[in-house]
Amino acid sequence: MRKSAFIGLLLASLFCLDIFIGIYLGERHERFKSEQEILRLVVKELGSTDLVVATEARYTRHPSVSDGLVPFMDHPADIEHFPSGSFYHPVPSR
Amino acid sequence: MKAISKNLNILDYAASLLVRKKYKNMAVLLVFSAVIFLLASLQLTATALRTVADDILTTVPDITVQQMSAGRQVPLEADYQQAFSGIFGIRELRERIWGYYFDEKNGANYTVVGLAPGSVSGGLKDALAWGRLPEKSGEVVLAAPVVDNMQLGQRRHFSLFRPDLSLQSFQMVGSFRQDTGILTNDMMLMTQSDAGELFAMADGQLTDLLVDVANPAEIDTIAGKIADVLPGTRVVTKMQIQKTYDVVFSWRSGFGSICLLTSVFAFIILAWDKASGFSPDEQKEMAILKVVGWQTRDIMLLRFWESAVVGLFAFLGGYTLAWIHVAFFDAFLLKPVMLGWSVLRPTPALFPPFQLTDFVLIGAFSIIPYMAATIVPAWKSGMVRPDSVI
Repeated sequence: MRKSAFIGLLLASLFCLDIFIGIYLGERHERFKSEQEILRLVVKELGSTDLVVATEARYTRHPSVSDGLVPFMDHPADIEHFPSGSFYHPVPSR
Repeated sequence: MKAISKNLNILDYAASLLVRKKYKNMAVLLVFSAVIFLLASLQLTATALRTVADDILTTVPDITVQQMSAGRQVPLEADYQQAFSGIFGIRELRERIWGYYFDEKNGANYTVVGLAPGSVSGGLKDALAWGRLPEKSGEVVLAAPVVDNMQLGQRRHFSLFRPDLSLQSFQMVGSFRQDTGILTNDMMLMTQSDAGELFAMADGQLTDLLVDVANPAEIDTIAGKIADVLPGTRVVTKMQIQKTYDVVFSWRSGFGSICLLTSVFAFIILAWDKASGFSPDEQKEMAILKVVGWQTRDIMLLRFWESAVVGLFAFLGGYTLAWIHVAFFDAFLLKPVMLGWSVLRPTPALFPPFQLTDFVLIGAFSIIPYMAATIVPAWKSGMVRPDSVI
């Protein structure tokens, strides 16, 4: 086999693997969509504004009802120190 | 046809050159793939979380009103009715008390939500794995991770500390379904009066107001009116909440910037390596190729194919690994940063759907800079004068 053909085959295999993963995840997403009614109900009834991802700091637990100053409010000259704070970009002040 | 054949021949030769220096090229490929893996993992995780947020935060209250004082959120006094009487178009107004309960025993933060029993529809019962919603004082619905974390086991009764360290007793009357975990994993749902008592809030004080507006087109207008009649309040609209997750997971976050800078520096190093890496042997080889009839553009084409093969393998390899990492291993390498010191460590299901924009974005961040970085070295190698080298 020509080297160029071998390279093409390898690249095509990787691309096909990506497509298979994409199709699989698309199906999982569709299944998740069918479960969303209950989640939407919880959001509506409890007035939830955020997803439960990080629970360590209030500004990463509820970024929607927070603002950029919250991480520095615990005491004067406080510095932001929660690791998840580096993952979340602060929302603009409202 | 001739052009394709020529390109294939040059690609064959480029592959031979890559194999000849296999250890060096493997190292470049590994570093390059690792950088793309990092970038793609972050992008796919953000896409997954944004997708979930877009899908389910469609029923958030139209307007959420919170009282601010000295830059902090403080309780809202419940004498707002009079102020609201002059605002038309409000369909429903709900009061809510909520906050965080810090469990000193294990360092976990729980989200306590207190709602008046009448303000919750019976439909919410469907979100429970068992039991019922709190109807009277002392009753609470907990999420399963909270039960585990508090080590309640089979017990249904427990106590929480009020701020004055007196104890408030609760009876667990239900538990949230596991598939609602993305919203409830750290939640304690109780009556509004219990939540007020737990946080030692005075009678008539609230955490926030949830406002539903009859005509969605009027949300911003009514939000403006609320801000006017309740000075010092933070008025958050549905649109702002829905856009939050587009803002918070961005390349401008600390971690995002680090990933981006890492990739930029990696590309600079790779470019520098390419620019300065022509050994006398390689120069001699290029010179011999020119002597046997290769043109400058053929040598540039050779260099292009060398870079393209490395770039494409690194991109597809790194991207595929990132996808597997995020979708099948819940982005375990990013989790320590994403969840930080959270004691309750929810595992949100991450399934980033295929988005061409992600694919093109990561590709543009990886292949194009690498190819661009190799243009000048390719041209330099093509311009080599045979008589000066051989």
